[in-house]
Parts: sequence; structure tokens; C-alpha cells
Amino acid sequence: MRATAPLVGALARLRARRGRTLLAAAGIAASGTMIGTATALSFGLATGFDRAVERSDLPDVVARFEARTREDVEDRVGALANVEARSLRLEIEGIGLAAPGGSSREGVVQLVPAGRRGYAVVEGTDLRGEPGEVLIERGVAREWDLSVGDSLAVGQLGRVRVAGIAVSPDDVAFPLAASPRVYLPEQLLPSGFRDRGRSVNLVMLWARDPGRLDELLVQARSQSFGLENLRFTTREGVRALVDQAAGIVIALLIAFSLVALATAGVMLGASARADVQRRLETIGVMRAVGFTRAGLAARYAGDAALVAVPAAVAGLGAGALLASGPSARLLEILNELPPGAAVIAPLAGCLVAIVLLVVIATTWPAWRAASQPPAQILRGAELRHTARRSRTPAGPFGLGLRLALARRGRTLATAGVVAAATAVVLLMLAVASYLGRLQDDPGVIGKRYEVTAALPASSAAAVAALPGVAAAAPRYVADGIDSFALGQPVRLIAFPGDHVPFEDPPLAEGRRVANDREAEVGQGLAEALGVRPGGTLAVQLSSGAEARFRVVGIVRTVDREGRVAYVRSARVVAGDSGVEPEIAIRLEEGVGAADVRPALAELGAEPRPVGAATPRNQAFLGVLAGVLRLVALVNGLICLYVLTQALVVMAAERRSTIALLRATGARRGTIALVLAGIAGVVVALAAPLGVLGERLLLGPTTARLAAGYADLPLGAGVPEIVAVVAGLALLAGGATAWVARRVESEPVAAGLRER
Amino acid sequence: MLDGVDVNIEPGEMVVLLGRSGSGKSTLLNLLGGIDRPDAGTVEVVGMRVHDLTERQLTHFRRRHVGFVFQFFHLIPELTGEENVLMPARLTGGASVERGRELVERLGLNGAAERLPHTLSGGEQQRIAIARALVNEPDLILADEPTGNLDRTAGAAVLDTLRGVATGARSVILATHDREAAGMADRVITVEDGRLRG
Repeated sequence: MRATAPLVGALARLRARRGRTLLAAAGIAASGTMIGTATALSFGLATGFDRAVERSDLPDVVARFEARTREDVEDRVGALANVEARSLRLEIEGIGLAAPGGSSREGVVQLVPAGRRGYAVVEGTDLRGEPGEVLIERGVAREWDLSVGDSLAVGQLGRVRVAGIAVSPDDVAFPLAASPRVYLPEQLLPSGFRDRGRSVNLVMLWARDPGRLDELLVQARSQSFGLENLRFTTREGVRALVDQAAGIVIALLIAFSLVALATAGVMLGASARADVQRRLETIGVMRAVGFTRAGLAARYAGDAALVAVPAAVAGLGAGALLASGPSARLLEILNELPPGAAVIAPLAGCLVAIVLLVVIATTWPAWRAASQPPAQILRGAELRHTARRSRTPAGPFGLGLRLALARRGRTLATAGVVAAATAVVLLMLAVASYLGRLQDDPGVIGKRYEVTAALPASSAAAVAALPGVAAAAPRYVADGIDSFALGQPVRLIAFPGDHVPFEDPPLAEGRRVANDREAEVGQGLAEALGVRPGGTLAVQLSSGAEARFRVVGIVRTVDREGRVAYVRSARVVAGDSGVEPEIAIRLEEGVGAADVRPALAELGAEPRPVGAATPRNQAFLGVLAGVLRLVALVNGLICLYVLTQALVVMAAERRSTIALLRATGARRGTIALVLAGIAGVVVALAAPLGVLGERLLLGPTTARLAAGYADLPLGAGVPEIVAVVAGLALLAGGATAWVARRVESEPVAAGLRER
Repeated sequence: MLDGVDVNIEPGEMVVLLGRSGSGKSTLLNLLGGIDRPDAGTVEVVGMRVHDLTERQLTHFRRRHVGFVFQFFHLIPELTGEENVLMPARLTGGASVERGRELVERLGLNGAAERLPHTLSGGEQQRIAIARALVNEPDLILADEPTGNLDRTAGAAVLDTLRGVATGARSVILATHDREAAGMADRVITVEDGRLRG
């Protein structure tokens, strides 16, 4: 009974000021929603790969090569030390797959032997060695609308039943990955594949001691003599590949989430401070009647916790729920797994942080205020002696301006919070705009050519001579791995001569390539390999040959997270005669792809417009844009709450002034004008602060956090700034109208009873 | 609070409502000024049935027909004396600087016009409040304990001012527990436990 007495008392106090309590709870819930959304998204994306690796038992090393007999490969793998388990498989490409919802001629069939799998079955059952069953990847199931029990036509094998749906994080999901992949049991080698014999072209290795993986790789390379087209991929290499597909946008999202968390923290603190400021008079009276400083602080802390806990739980839950859909979609695209109940732990951490923040922010000003003599506290709550002369007009709007300026600290704090939220919204719009350009504008990643054509290198001169074409050159792309760090994928981009007229990534260090022996290395690759100008880049090409270059420059590029190198094409072509170029075509100003189409057609090619992202990435970018819109909406609500809270606090504090205005004949519109003056000061301060904050602080910081290897243009443009400022004004108008309506519902005489 | 109240006030009359705290004086003023509503009965002021008016009509009624003077002045601290005086006129959109200045001069407040309220004496603040109540030329001035927060000299000056205001068509109703104020009134009505005597 004794223990519940303080709780009953606190509940009674909160009930007595129900409106304010609900508003404070709404603010905490809104912030909780924002933090919940950000946390659930960040946690899901940051841990998705590791979760999928663990659940799917992804091997430490995957080696792919031209098919060899099983016995030959068994002998080679058997000689390796530090191998805990292995799986030798045949992976067949170019298989026709067809379902009612979609089909592909580029299907990949992997024949799975008994033993460790390297994938996780997320629906249905694993392969049981029975004939006529197939396991399909989740991306294929989703894209072609396949469920367990449906049938799928697999090459010459014909229709087989989908036994289960699997996820393997060794690549992004179809259709972001080029080919749909399915698994068939090897024990019952389907008759349709019998002509392939007992050969294998893929080895999965699980190391006994993953810390000594480098030694295993060196050993594996020494055992690989005679294997053609050998490519090793390590778990870290897979992570890099996945990151290349989505890393930059994930990093942006995580960076954004951190900023959102900081903004929410500032807002909660300011709102709690304002609340205590409003209750200074009560604090003074309580001290006067004998409350101790600690007792008073404890009372405020208890009240604050009682409001904060349920509001934060509701907000965090709503945020996690809001994020769950887009987060699951993003993870599906990346072939990763959702966090499930694991997300509860970080959300619980956020709950503790929010409640602590609210309690500390509420208790600390009360604790400080209570340290002064009661008479001084009471004087602190009195506004009459704080007024200063002002030159603003004395009409209703001008009066609002003066009321706001009379409370400079509060107004600045409110404006600061709105500015932070504005800056975040601007940042988000800038990111969305950047993503849009990433889809359509090749210039974003330094490409200066607008179209490509699938023609041999020898056609470059003929293309360059076409009307409307400013320049043309063969562009080679060769994927390989670093010879020293075998897990690191490297993409070589090669032109016969100077690449700058066609691709011009900014030079961060060193100089441009001047001959066939030199390379400019992307910052991401330079960091991964630890190379600097003067160092050596040795790349093992897919042909098995090695090409070596002297690093002369480091460039900043977002292409594949900066894991690229620009070289002259001579050594690439010499090392891999199979590499086919495309012709990169720079058009003259005002000329479009359609203008050169007829002339190119005569040469036997179609112009292909160049985008910064591949068409397959567009779905991913679309989902991401949805996530950003969601966070924008939550942020807009935060702005609305902060503005409303500021006006409610001011209206409560100036209750007698507003009652006087009403007693002398002010209508709701006039009161709204006074409130608009207050909101106007906040918006007038917040808008430029928000714009400057985004352009000078948030944008550059996020760009650095997201992609230190590139120059990301994340400064908001004029259209975004205009849209956000207009939105802010609209929100201020909405808050003003709501508070004016609320104020009018109070009897005039009640307000006039206050001094 | 009020029970069976029936009072008729003539134009140009100054009526003092005399009674102890809690007797119902302020409630009666609030009802007459249209800032509170009766539970039952009728309130008629300058020919308008105040109890029947909508919120919008009440606002208009207060703006055109009533001026308030309060015990604690209720001056807006961010406005100068003259701006406080002109404030009700600005609400109507017909701010008359001349009218405000004339009132300031008539009430001897020239020195207070450009100063903020917290720099003024209590008497000056209350006379600014009276000027504010007069700026829209209302028919009725309702003064609730206007001398309750002033010393004797300042209080006497305020009562003099209010006495001078009750002329022509304008009436003044003054609620107070100060028996000296009664000496200046045309009529004194005593309020006791919500009932009128006198």
C-alpha cells in the first residue's frame, strides 16, 4: 500500500494536467517512432549479412573454375591443410528456367551433394534426395511468385516441384543478381544433366581455423595449377561484392539513422526543459512549503518516467513496425535475413536511453532551480520584468514576435530543434535526389559519355567520325582479384589512351595514368589493399593471367564503392584476350541517343543509354526511396510536434495575455495571428539554420560517413530548400490553427484570474 | 454564485458593487461583460441579450460595448504604455493613434506612453489600463477591484479617473470591498452571498 502511494500521487498529478501530459507523451512517442524506425532499419541492415552467413553456414572460401573430374579436384582439395569440411559441386549456367510468373534462359543450376549446404532453407524443406524436387532462391520465388509445392520447368529436366526456398548471402538476390539460381540434389543426378558426367566446377571450403585463411588460400593457389578460369571468393570478398551492390546506400541510411537519433535526442531534451520552465512557479511554491531538493527532483523524475515509458514503448514499437516492411524488402534484395526477435535488444537499449534522456532532462532543470531560494524561483517564473523594448509593429502578429523574443532561450532552443529536423529532411531529400540521379545521370559517377554500343574495338574510329559524336573509344571492363589479397575483387576499367575524356573521377592523390604500366586506383580499393601512389597493383584476371601496374594516383569514385582501377587497355587485353569492349560514345552538346541511332544501326549496333546504376539496381533504389520517404514523414511529424508544443507552452505561459486579448474583443483569427508571430520567429530562425546545417554540416558529414572514398554531392538544391521551407511554413500554419482553436475553448474569465 | 440578481443601470451612472471577497461581485461583472455565461436567467446589456449570444457575437459585443479594468492591470509587458492603450483598437483594425494619444494626455500619462509597464508605478499602470478600456469608446466600463493593488493616493487618483469616465451614455460599474469608493458612486449595491441589497 505504502509503495503504491507515490505512484497513485504521480498518476493523479498527470491526470490533473491531462492535455499537457498527452502532448508530452505524443512528443516522446513521435521521437520513439523516429528512433524505432532508424534503429530497426540500421540494425537489420548492419547485421543482415552476418546473420545470413551464420544461418546459411556460408563457406570460408568458394573456388570456381572450368569443370574438371571429381577425382582430380578431390586429390587437390585433399592435400589442403586447415580444412574442416568441403563440398564439391557442379554449377551449370545458361539453363532455361520457366514458371508461370517468369522465365530466364540464364538460369544457374547447382547440384548439391550430401553434407554442408552453404544456404539456409527459409521455407519448405531442404532437398531430401528425392527425384523431381528443386530448391529455389528466395529472390526467384518472389520475382516469379513461386511458393513451396509449385512447379518449375528446369531445362531438359522438365517440371519439378519446389520443395523449399533458400537464401545464400554469397550474392545479391535475383533480379539484382543477373541469373536466377536453383539447387538440385546431386545423388539423383537428373537425366537432363547426365551428359555433364561426374565433373565439378565449384569447391566450397570451411576452414578449421578461419584466422589462418590466408595460408589456406596460398596453399589452394599452389594446388590449382592447370585449373582454368580459377576464381577464389572468400567470405570477406562476398561481403565486398554485396557492399558493391548496395553498400553506399546502406551506409547512407545508417549515417542518416545516426543523425536522426541525435536530432530526436535534442528535441526530447528541449521539450522536457520547456516543460520544467513552465512549471517553475510550482517548483518555487513546493520549495516554499518544505519540499527538499532531492524529494522534488525525485517527484519530477517519477512523473517523467511514468509518461516516458509507455510513450516510448508505443513509439519504438510503431517505428519498428513501420520499418519492418521496407527493411525486410531491402534484406530480401540483398539475400540477407531479417533480425526477427533480435531487434528487441537494440530497441530495449533505445527505450532505456529515451527514458533516461527524458528523466534527466526533466529532473536536471528542476534540481538546478530548486537550489535557489523559493522567492528567487518564483521571480524566475515571472515574466513581467523580462520584457525589452522592441521595434516590431504592435499589431497581433508583431505582438507574437515580441512574445517569442521575450523568451529568447526557449525560442532559440525550439528553433534549434526545428532546424535540426529541417536539416535532416533536407539531407534526406538530397539523398533521394542523388539516388534519382544515380539511376539516370552517368555524370554522377564521373562518366562523360552518354551512350555505348556493342561493337568491336576496331569500330571506334568509324563511330567517332559519325555526325553528332564528339568522341568514341573502346572501353574494357575486366573483373579479377587482387593477387596479394586473394579475396579482394578488383574491377579494371581500361581505355586504349587517356580515360579522362570519357571517365573523369576526381583525383584525390598523385597523378593521372600516363602509360600502359600505370594505374589510378579508386579510394575504396586503395584502402582495402593498403596501396598508395608508388605501390603495385597486381590483378589476377579471370583468364588466370596476372596484370601488374604501378599505382600513380588515387581517385574518388562511387562506382563499386571505389573498388576499381583505371588503366590503359594494352595489358588487360594481353592478359585476357577474351575480354570484349564496348564503344563509349560522347555526344556533341544537344545531341541525344536517338539522333545517332540510324548511323549506329548502319554499323550494326544499337545505342545503349548510360546510367550510373544498372537497370537491375533500380528496384533496389526504388525501395530505398520508399524508406527515405517514410523517414521524411516521421521527421515532418516531429517538426509539427515541436512547433505545436512550443505554441502550447507559450499559450499556457501567456494565458492571461491571451485572455485579455479575448476579453477586449480578439477573435480566433486574431489569436492565431499572435501565435503565428511566435511560430514565425521559430520558422524564420530554423529555416536558414536548417539549410546551413545541412549544407555545411550534415551533408558533408553524411557523405564522409557514407562514402569516404568518393565525393558525394549531398548538399540540398534550391528546389528541395524551397519545398522544405514551404512545408515548414505549412506545418507552422497547421500548428497555429490547432493551438488557436484549443485556446478558444478555454473560458476567458479563467485566464484573467491569473496575475 | 449569483442568485436572483436583478439590476438595472442607467447611462452615465457610476455604480459601485460593494461586498466581501467571494460574495459574487466579480462573477456579476464577468456575466455583464460577456466573459462568462449564466447557468440560468438573462443578462441584457445595452439592449443586447448577452446570454443568448454566440461566441462570435460575444466577441463582437466585448469589442464594441465593454471596457475592462482589472485589479492586476493585465498590461502586456512587451508593449509600451501607448501600445497597450491602442491594443483593443488595433484588434478592430481601426487603430486610432490620435484617440490613444488624446486619452494618454487626458489621463496625464504622457510620461508613461513610451515606457514598458514594469517601469511604471502601480497607479500609472492602472490609468493606462483605464485608457485601454476607453479606447474603443464602449458603453460600459467594468472595473474589478481597480484599487485593490494600489496605495491610498494612487487608488484615489484611479477612482477620480473612473468617476470622470462615467458621463453621457457611458456607465461604470466598479466592484470593490473598499467602502471609501462608495462615496464617489451614484449608487451603491451591496452583494452578499450572491444576492444584491440596496
